[in-house]
Amino acid sequence: KEHCKILRTEEDSPSPFPGLASGVLEMRVKEGSKIRNLMGGVGGVAGSGGAGGLRQVVFTGSGRAVTKTITCAEIMKRKVGSLHQLTKLRYKGVKEVWESHDGGASEMTVHRTVPSISILLSKDPLDPREPGYQPPETLSALWEEREGADPQPPAAFKRPAGPPAFGGYPDCKRACLGEGGGVVLPSLSG
Amino acid sequence: MNDGRAPGAAVLPQNPLTSPSGGLQSVEMDPVEYTLRKRLPRKLPKRRNDVYVNMKTDFRAQLARCQKLLEGGGHREICVHGLGLAINRAINIALQLQASSQGALQLAANTSTVELVDDLEPDDPDEAPGEPMTRTRNNSAIHIKVYYPSP
Repeated sequence: KEHCKILRTEEDSPSPFPGLASGVLEMRVKEGSKIRNLMGGVGGVAGSGGAGGLRQVVFTGSGRAVTKTITCAEIMKRKVGSLHQLTKLRYKGVKEVWESHDGGASEMTVHRTVPSISILLSKDPLDPREPGYQPPETLSALWEEREGADPQPPAAFKRPAGPPAFGGYPDCKRACLGEGGGVVLPSLSG
Repeated sequence: MNDGRAPGAAVLPQNPLTSPSGGLQSVEMDPVEYTLRKRLPRKLPKRRNDVYVNMKTDFRAQLARCQKLLEGGGHREICVHGLGLAINRAINIALQLQASSQGALQLAANTSTVELVDDLEPDDPDEAPGEPMTRTRNNSAIHIKVYYPSP
């Protein structure tokens, strides 16, 4: 390879959580970060801790680190329990400096935009109306719940025109039952 | 995991029975060759406005499908789901949809953990004392609601 990347810096962007107090622990997850190390860094939140313990933590990652960022948050939720979650997605600018070696070193700067995710986990309640809010203990329920644990009247097939509270998901469930008929439920147990 | 089937597939053939502590390892790593088969993720609800993103289909085709649902299909909201490696692609699709709507579309993302099952099948059933096994592992997933906010 004649070109190699010698520097990668994320351009500054405003916090995705504007109302958040400054000084909240932010874990920047990188492609090569070890999950073990990251989770060690947030031990303060994980420890049941007294009143002085951390109440909130933010995981952010971009590009190829996005999956790892989610995994960290998921492990944290399982470990600590009862955490409120707020997830934000956006594009982030990244500046890369590349060096070429074919005859005389020369540098080249590239600007790229990559998808980035920020996940706020909080022991204190968060605004449920905020898009991307997830209440505690939805762990894997998002997938299973919708398969119809509590039957809802299929009458809700036609979605009300009212403002969809974030809970698109409960809505989804009803729609699902409505469309699929009762077939969805029985097939579950099999 | 340590279910007593271990000795048959022990790593240490010299004393397979006297090293119970090695039991776990001998299940994981052993002279018997296994083929690892990944089962498909468990079947999930599929409404007309659910899009499950994968890495096999062309990116533009999946993006176009979402656009069609929102524009031509008359849906006020769609749900874009991505599992594991496809998370990136799901996010990319959602962000692209939002960007091309000039801010009319909003995103609400949730994350979850999905349990996946792998089957371990011994390659040579006649010779090997190994038995078929299953193993579960977790993978992360994302669910992005892409919607027109109500006025």
